[in-house]
Amino acid sequence: MTVERAAPVDMRVDIAGLRLATPLIAASGTFGYGDEYQSVVDYDCIGAISVKGLYLEPRKGCPPPRIWETPSGMLNAIGLQEVGIRRFLAEKLPAVRALGKVVIANICGSSLDEYGELSRILDQAEGVSAIEVNISCPNVAEGGIEFGCDPDMAARATEVVRRGTRLPVIPKLSPSASDMAAMARRVAEAGADAVSLINTIPAMAVDVETRRPRLANVVGGLSGPAIRPIAVRMVWEVAQGSRLPVIGMGGIASADDALEFLLAGAGAVQIGTMNFVDPGVWRRTYDGLGAYCRRHGVAALRELTGAMLPAGAKE
Amino acid sequence: MTDSRPTPDGSRLPPRADLTATLLDRENLSADAQLLRFESKTPLQILPGQFTMVRVPGGGLLRRPYSFCDHLENGAFTLLVKEVGVGTRALMKLPLGGTVSSLGPLGTTFDPPPSDRTPVIVAGGVGIAPFVLFCRRLAESGRRGIVLLGGRRRPDLYLWDTFERFGMDVRVASEDGSAGRRGYVTALLDAALADAGRPILYSCGPTAMLVKVAELATAAGVPHQVSIERRMGCGMGCCLGCVVWARPASGGPEEYLRSCTEGPVFDAGTIDWDQDPHPL
Repeated sequence: MTVERAAPVDMRVDIAGLRLATPLIAASGTFGYGDEYQSVVDYDCIGAISVKGLYLEPRKGCPPPRIWETPSGMLNAIGLQEVGIRRFLAEKLPAVRALGKVVIANICGSSLDEYGELSRILDQAEGVSAIEVNISCPNVAEGGIEFGCDPDMAARATEVVRRGTRLPVIPKLSPSASDMAAMARRVAEAGADAVSLINTIPAMAVDVETRRPRLANVVGGLSGPAIRPIAVRMVWEVAQGSRLPVIGMGGIASADDALEFLLAGAGAVQIGTMNFVDPGVWRRTYDGLGAYCRRHGVAALRELTGAMLPAGAKE
Repeated sequence: MTDSRPTPDGSRLPPRADLTATLLDRENLSADAQLLRFESKTPLQILPGQFTMVRVPGGGLLRRPYSFCDHLENGAFTLLVKEVGVGTRALMKLPLGGTVSSLGPLGTTFDPPPSDRTPVIVAGGVGIAPFVLFCRRLAESGRRGIVLLGGRRRPDLYLWDTFERFGMDVRVASEDGSAGRRGYVTALLDAALADAGRPILYSCGPTAMLVKVAELATAAGVPHQVSIERRMGCGMGCCLGCVVWARPASGGPEEYLRSCTEGPVFDAGTIDWDQDPHPL
């Protein structure tokens, strides 16, 4: 009896100086500090983990109600409840490092100084491989999205982080920016190694019976499959309009979803809201990507980045 | 895949898993409530008070949390479901033989009552769900408790007979007077505490009821564990959507604690009911 085996697909990707075993990254704010999903997620499928957003000090977050389900999506206004950088380094980082995964620290600041201070602290931390700069949270009063809508502010935040660290710097862009590609070019000039996008889309819902907003914060961020086509379009615009590597995200629930982002120009993708829905999304997506590559004669997954053909291209 | 997570007090919680469960049996308890019996091929260990995050076809994007109502042999369990929205509706329409994805068991548990205390359970509506397994365990260890059951009307006093079968002293109240005492279930509390002698309270139900029970328990100096219900995103401690304003079991200042991970069962005294907007 002879057994025929397909040559294994090379799933590794290099992005922003990170060597990842798979192109799948856990999105900040949906995967805790990294070890919470042990026993239900297959960690072998994970290329990196972007941990919950960090400030210098702990934050209590927004009052509840904080979440509301919408068609194919989820509204949230958590308000970056987090433990602060010191407790992260002392308690959370050792646990996630023990998993042997590439750790991306996601940082937020209510001022440029705070972004700078966080990057200097993380630069010295053993076991952090990159810094994702959250300039796009819609649910905090200061910082967050106000950095993400204004290219000058985004560039300044990127610059202070760049000065504070030798680690790869990855600004996380807001879909509220008016020109995503221009934003990417500005943060590239300021020293970014890649960009990740999109963060949630500012949105709201109203309880018509009580005539009250569904979220205590009134406005929240929309995530999940509902925003995916918008995210794919923005990834494509940034890939077309800048030279910066792109990490794409927005409602990825399957290999086909991830492939849309990769073909549109992403070098890696993040899985966010679907962690809540289906921890099996990692294994299914990973296996599906491999199967796609074998079906299409693709030896290395990274060949797919930006491999979308023009509309109407002949087979 | 499973794990055994250490709890703050050093004991172990049962392993959790995301498994496929098949609907085997449906009992209509009232016009808008059902007892559903599921079976999975994977044996389960469930402690009273724990819950599962259920994903059902047509039931919306996010999973919905349900207390484990009863744990039968191996992988068989029941859920008590009352129609609230798209998630519960899909579950209540699931055909027999249909499957759901069940992620659990999750969350903290009711402590077994100390041997020198009589358990007094206060439940409103579907808040009775976690106490079926609780009372099954009590009965297995040859103990009795007092179960106070409240609801709007007689049909809302779910599983009354089940608790009697477990040998519990069941006392009921209904808002319309169609069964037991007319009014809220909390009106039964003073007499029950007196009859219990040295009581310990367990409660689950509408927040207004929990607050009232907590007030009475504090006034009477009675220990009180409460299971709270909040909208949840993940059940795994990651989305931070289900928080309650409370003091951690380990002490320290009040903060937003996750009802899925630090709860759903809390010592009632650790929750700051005045500061918590207790939304659902």
